[in-house]
Amino acid sequence: MCEASIMRVAFVGKGGAGKSAIAGTFARLLARRGQPVLAIDSDPLPGLAFSLGLDRDDAPLPDEAIEDRPEDEEGPRYRLRAGLSAADAVDRYAATAPDGVRFLQFGKIRTDPRTLFRSQITFRQIIKELPEDRWHLVGDLPGGTRQAFTGWGGYAETYLVVVEPMAKSLLSARRLARLALAGDRPVRVLAVANKVSEPGDAELVARRSGLEVVASVPLEPAFADAERSGRAPLDVVPDSGAIGAVSSLVEHLDRQPLRRAPS
Amino acid sequence: MDFSGQMVVADLEAGVGTLTRLGDAGVDLVLIVVEPTPKSVEVGCRAAALVADKQLGRAVVVASRIRNDDDLAMVTKAFPDHQVVAIPDDPAIVAADRNGVAPLDSAPDAPAIQALVRLADELVAPGS
Ligand SMILES: Nc1ncnc2c1ncn2[C@@H]1O[C@H](COP(=O)(O)OP(=O)(O)OP(=O)(O)O)[C@@H](O)[C@H]1O
Ligand SMILES: [Mg+2]
Repeated sequence: MCEASIMRVAFVGKGGAGKSAIAGTFARLLARRGQPVLAIDSDPLPGLAFSLGLDRDDAPLPDEAIEDRPEDEEGPRYRLRAGLSAADAVDRYAATAPDGVRFLQFGKIRTDPRTLFRSQITFRQIIKELPEDRWHLVGDLPGGTRQAFTGWGGYAETYLVVVEPMAKSLLSARRLARLALAGDRPVRVLAVANKVSEPGDAELVARRSGLEVVASVPLEPAFADAERSGRAPLDVVPDSGAIGAVSSLVEHLDRQPLRRAPS
Repeated sequence: MDFSGQMVVADLEAGVGTLTRLGDAGVDLVLIVVEPTPKSVEVGCRAAALVADKQLGRAVVVASRIRNDDDLAMVTKAFPDHQVVAIPDDPAIVAADRNGVAPLDSAPDAPAIQALVRLADELVAPGS
């Protein structure tokens, strides 16, 4: 009776809150359930690739995937080459991370500016035109509020705000939640408390952010070691409580009906 | 107004966006703060290259959250042409963050704060 529900989530939050670490882990754990997952990285700074366990992340869409939009046509300057659908582009150009997660991003700060620009514009077209039901989508948005709600996270039905139990992070969570809910699309906004070290932390996050806290990820010192060696937390401390908490998050969201019932 | 003897300290957004947009007015000093991780060093290198290309001013690398010699070596190796200043990994900074207070007030004697005080003293010393 219930169709397999596709998750379309995007992780947002203040810089350094743990978006990439959690998104990368989440994507791989979801993929281990045997379903196709596309991890979407729209941060020009390095992040998600490492958290997934890829060793390089500077992979803009190649020139062959992109063409100039004809002068007389409305829209951005570049587009996917004629005949290449968004799904084709993912199949062909997205990297494959451990556990079979496909990984799409548009190039990093080291990419030369012209290539980066073409790649970014085309990347936006791809995420806009992705088929509804082909992959679970797990997005890692850059820190702060600028990108989250200007179209880059438009694929998401659920925003997961990663919040540290700290004044700055809590303030930023409130702001993000307000912005997400003010958009014109129906979305769900939930909180993930991260780097939790004291008993009242998750409650603090709930109270101060005004959001439902759906996961409480403990402070795990080995995540720092993973970071320093450029490895995925999931490969460094697979049995830690922090990974367990992300695993419960995957299950929790899987049990919840993701699409909001039309009201 | 007379601004002599005054200083402007700006805390820029993460990444290199602001640096790329900074005009050619220049600044006296760019402090590039990096952690001993591949991601952070990568962004720091890009920032250092931009500062050099645009001739924005002198750049000093602040290696933060340093736990041991290996951590520091990772940063100094990535920035052979820069002065690298080590700031130790210090729980007092995390605690201050949690409590929403300035670490300089809550933990003036913590090792990281002491290192920052030394850095500031050195940077504003006449002739530096
Ligand atoms: N539960 C945790 N316990 C301990 N350390 C953590 C935890 N989650 C994340 N970290 C560490 O916090 C730092 C920031 O994490 P991460 O890079 O995932 O954050 P981010 O929100 O993606 O940051 P940015 O905004 O810079 O992209 C990393 O060093 C990471 O290893
Ligand atoms: Mg990140």
